[in-house]
Amino acid sequence: MSQIACQCGKKVATIHVTEIVNGEKRELHLCEECAKKKKLIFPAANAVIDLNEVLSGIIQAAGETESDELQKTTCPDCGISFGEFRSGGRFGCPNDYEAFRKGVDPLLERIHGTTQHRGKQASARAAAGQDGRLAQLRAELRKAVADEAYERAARIRDQIYALKKEKGNAPV
Amino acid sequence: MRLSELVHQPGEWLRGTGADSDIVISTRIRLARNVADYPFVTRLKPDQQAELAQRLCECVVDEAVVPQCHYFDLTVASEIERRLLVERHLISKEHEDAQGPRGVAIQGSEAVSIMINEEDHLRIQVLHSGFELADTWRTTNALDSAIGERVPYAYSERLGFLTACPTNVGTGMRASVMLHLPALELAKQIEKVFHAVAKINLIVRGLYGEGTQASGNFFQISNQVTLGKAEEEVLQEIQGIIPEIVENERRARHFILGHNRQQLEDRVWRAYGMLLHARTISSSETIALLSNLRLGVHLGIIGQLDIPAVNQLFVQTLPAHLQVLEGRELDPQTRDVARATFIRRCLAQARHAGDS
Repeated sequence: MSQIACQCGKKVATIHVTEIVNGEKRELHLCEECAKKKKLIFPAANAVIDLNEVLSGIIQAAGETESDELQKTTCPDCGISFGEFRSGGRFGCPNDYEAFRKGVDPLLERIHGTTQHRGKQASARAAAGQDGRLAQLRAELRKAVADEAYERAARIRDQIYALKKEKGNAPV
Repeated sequence: MRLSELVHQPGEWLRGTGADSDIVISTRIRLARNVADYPFVTRLKPDQQAELAQRLCECVVDEAVVPQCHYFDLTVASEIERRLLVERHLISKEHEDAQGPRGVAIQGSEAVSIMINEEDHLRIQVLHSGFELADTWRTTNALDSAIGERVPYAYSERLGFLTACPTNVGTGMRASVMLHLPALELAKQIEKVFHAVAKINLIVRGLYGEGTQASGNFFQISNQVTLGKAEEEVLQEIQGIIPEIVENERRARHFILGHNRQQLEDRVWRAYGMLLHARTISSSETIALLSNLRLGVHLGIIGQLDIPAVNQLFVQTLPAHLQVLEGRELDPQTRDVARATFIRRCLAQARHAGDS
């Protein structure tokens, strides 16, 4: 088999494309690099199923029936909105699971068929961090924001920051 | 240890040992974990991400946590080195391509790798050769507990371990078993396996995980659900179905040997012949031919090679490995020539070793 040079003139063509446009046949001979540049080779060409894509599909579909109010709900800790989570498919921080609970629980039902963990538990240290005082303050903060009691909300936010600082391992 | 030195090691999942290792290549369990009171990786500020990487690295690289562990900072690793880690199943593609402070801690034998600042702050992975779910879980669980004593995990009583993606929340566990099923594919029975697997909520994926093609008749079977089922229950489900698939593959191999021996032998010897004599060969053709060769060695059709040698070729002929072994960057065409030369040399050596 004789070798054909790529259009770039530098390399041997390994990709051969035959295009038929309006009944006219045209042949392209390209090396791998040029073919990539022309987007003739797709990086995911041999992908069977992209699980992430399927998942964002589920996450987005689940959102179609959600209210505007839920879309705009934001997490007091990381600042992302439920709408942002839905379009990206990733949470901003652990607190999002509670902050967006109304939207997340139905999603978890769809993915896992439940919203109750079973199995290994974190050591007491982690559990204290998440389910203790901090979680309580966060709940209070959410309520204050919902009540539009912004002064109270600001006080609680300061308490949360102080508590995180006290634990000495958190960004403030 | 330098990253490039890894190419000369056999790598845990290529040892070809463990239960049912003629069909089960490897067993892998990974746990997704995050540190409490930090945002997830995508929302970390650069300095926070660097600080967290440092903190987690110090925690993990400790004889009491992971013995004989080396940490590789992926922000200083070269493109080829990162690819090398993907080819060896030590990091994910996402981790390879990500930006920002991140790394991977690898135990000398490569059985343990811990990704830091991947999609989650920690991805703890244990990889064993053969069908070894119980052992693999024991190691993973102990590692996770040791790390959990040192850093507080993001955790809730209700939802378990909290992860960046809702598909991992709960146990954060993904257990996968990699199988080599050439006879089932030849006998066009592979679809049946997929259906049986899907029925019990497990999924089938390709050689390199999510979104990859099942090349060379390699398939990974793993759990999808992470919430509502304890780790042991999920492992039981996988434990239950794998022996059935293994049995079916063995039956298919014997059926073909009994009814179509000549065709099978022809297929195997042709693959061997191509590998012995090709002058230029792509990575995907190599995998397909090695798959046939591996089958032939296991069935005793080819007696002069052993499985570790064939397994080793699977990974050493991948693009990054080949380039590190050659000691230079190669464009795809030169690479195909270098690959063919490398295979010829390895097979000649393995053959002499087998003869003596």
